[in-house]
Amino acid sequence: MAQIEQSDKGKKKKGAQKKIAIHVDFTPMVDMNMLLITFFMLCTTMIKSQTLQIVLPTNEDVKKENQNQAKASEAITMILDTEYNGDKPAVDAETGKTIHNIYYYEGVADTTFSTDKYLRKEQFIGNQNRQPQGIRKILRGKNEEVMAEYEKLKTQWKNKEISKEEFAKLAKKNAGDSNKVRPVVVIKPGPNTTYEGLINAVDEMNINQISRYSIELPTHTDTVLLRHYEQAHNETIIRPLVRKAK
Amino acid sequence: MGKVKIKRKSTLIDMTAMSDVTVLLLTFFMLTSTFLQKEPTIVYTPSSVSEEKVPMNNLVTVLISSADKSGKYEDPSLLEGKIFISFTGDADSTLSSEKIRLMMLDEAVELYNEQHKNNPVKLNGAEKAVFSQTNMFGVAFADLPALLSMSPTERDKFQGDMANPKVGIPINDNKDYNGNLNDFQIWMKAIYNVAQRINKEQGDMAATPEERSNLQNLYTALMRKGQGIAIKADKDTPFTTVQRVFDNLQTMKLNKFSLMTALKSEDEPTQ
Repeated sequence: MAQIEQSDKGKKKKGAQKKIAIHVDFTPMVDMNMLLITFFMLCTTMIKSQTLQIVLPTNEDVKKENQNQAKASEAITMILDTEYNGDKPAVDAETGKTIHNIYYYEGVADTTFSTDKYLRKEQFIGNQNRQPQGIRKILRGKNEEVMAEYEKLKTQWKNKEISKEEFAKLAKKNAGDSNKVRPVVVIKPGPNTTYEGLINAVDEMNINQISRYSIELPTHTDTVLLRHYEQAHNETIIRPLVRKAK
Repeated sequence: MGKVKIKRKSTLIDMTAMSDVTVLLLTFFMLTSTFLQKEPTIVYTPSSVSEEKVPMNNLVTVLISSADKSGKYEDPSLLEGKIFISFTGDADSTLSSEKIRLMMLDEAVELYNEQHKNNPVKLNGAEKAVFSQTNMFGVAFADLPALLSMSPTERDKFQGDMANPKVGIPINDNKDYNGNLNDFQIWMKAIYNVAQRINKEQGDMAATPEERSNLQNLYTALMRKGQGIAIKADKDTPFTTVQRVFDNLQTMKLNKFSLMTALKSEDEPTQ
């Protein structure tokens, strides 16, 4: 290909110059191109990061009477905690992922400890065999009505009855449908929770189509509950701060 | 028996096809690539199922450094929680990153000098030009002139050393809005002011209501969609450290923002 062939047809004329096959060596060109490719491959980001949007309240004082009180039957409080191994987050030997625990209670905090349900422990497990497990199962159970509708919309979308935009719009409307029984989740990251723990919790809200949730700091009552849980289950949850605020 | 004639073959390999392929690959990479922006420290963001992409334009990134993972330091948290800010403007030239950065710098320095009348920060034209070219920065206002007069390599080295107490935008003082603002809050206020001003200017320029509603500028990105500010932190960073940034943003009433994450599927264990 790189040679320019010259026809040898016909008789050679006397005194005609000897014809040389012109050959261009492309090897250096390939070398250079490969270098350039390597450079571009190393310098590029093919995958763009995703964003997770959150809305937090402003720091202004809100008067008690102006606050929306959630119905006790709809409320779930999740206290997050991350296990530590020295000053590094503890890692599950099997999965290689950080161990996050969730201590949750439904409704108003039960400081009399009348039942075992004052605080229950769960973990972020995700799906197993396509069935929700761990905290996801509990949240899904609480948001059954919305999820049933959501699954319907999802099938419609997969069957191409509605477009992706329509699906997103309808799903959003469905998640905020006040005619359905919807939970109100309060996420309380404990002092030793890592950022990943918080993201996991917010993620569960999105997966389970929970539109009403807030992120707050644990209160004194939560500490009381955790202390009681520690004693009852012989566990250590409240540990000294791994990182002291600087 | 006749001798078997071995035909002499040329050992030349024709590289033309190969070079064609490499050129094609090269073109592909050149066209699809967006360059990695240089960041002073590497963080590994946690993953979420959110499929929303980080916007390319009109973005303010707040980077929170992670604890030391190399084991070089006795106290790994020494490196943790340093704040860096990066501004990205519009893709077109009217509000390019350079222009946005200059506007932000002018506004922020003005706000700072109003508050610190005794030792104001003064930047000359060259330093401002350097700032407009810098992707990410993280020093207090008082150290800004020194940072901007360094050579690029010196600057990268300076900002890359997380153990240096001078690195990182101060964030800890003045929790309340009414008091003096800390450096981070001044930057956030500058962003808000600039975004609002741009919106007004562009709104005045837009002739028809449709044009006005189609404005994809910093203001709409920042204030309405809540995508304007993205927080990037390491997955192992304690919540308390990230919360400091949240708290400052809440104080500035910029309470709708986004968190940068990597993508994962719903079935994956989140643990």
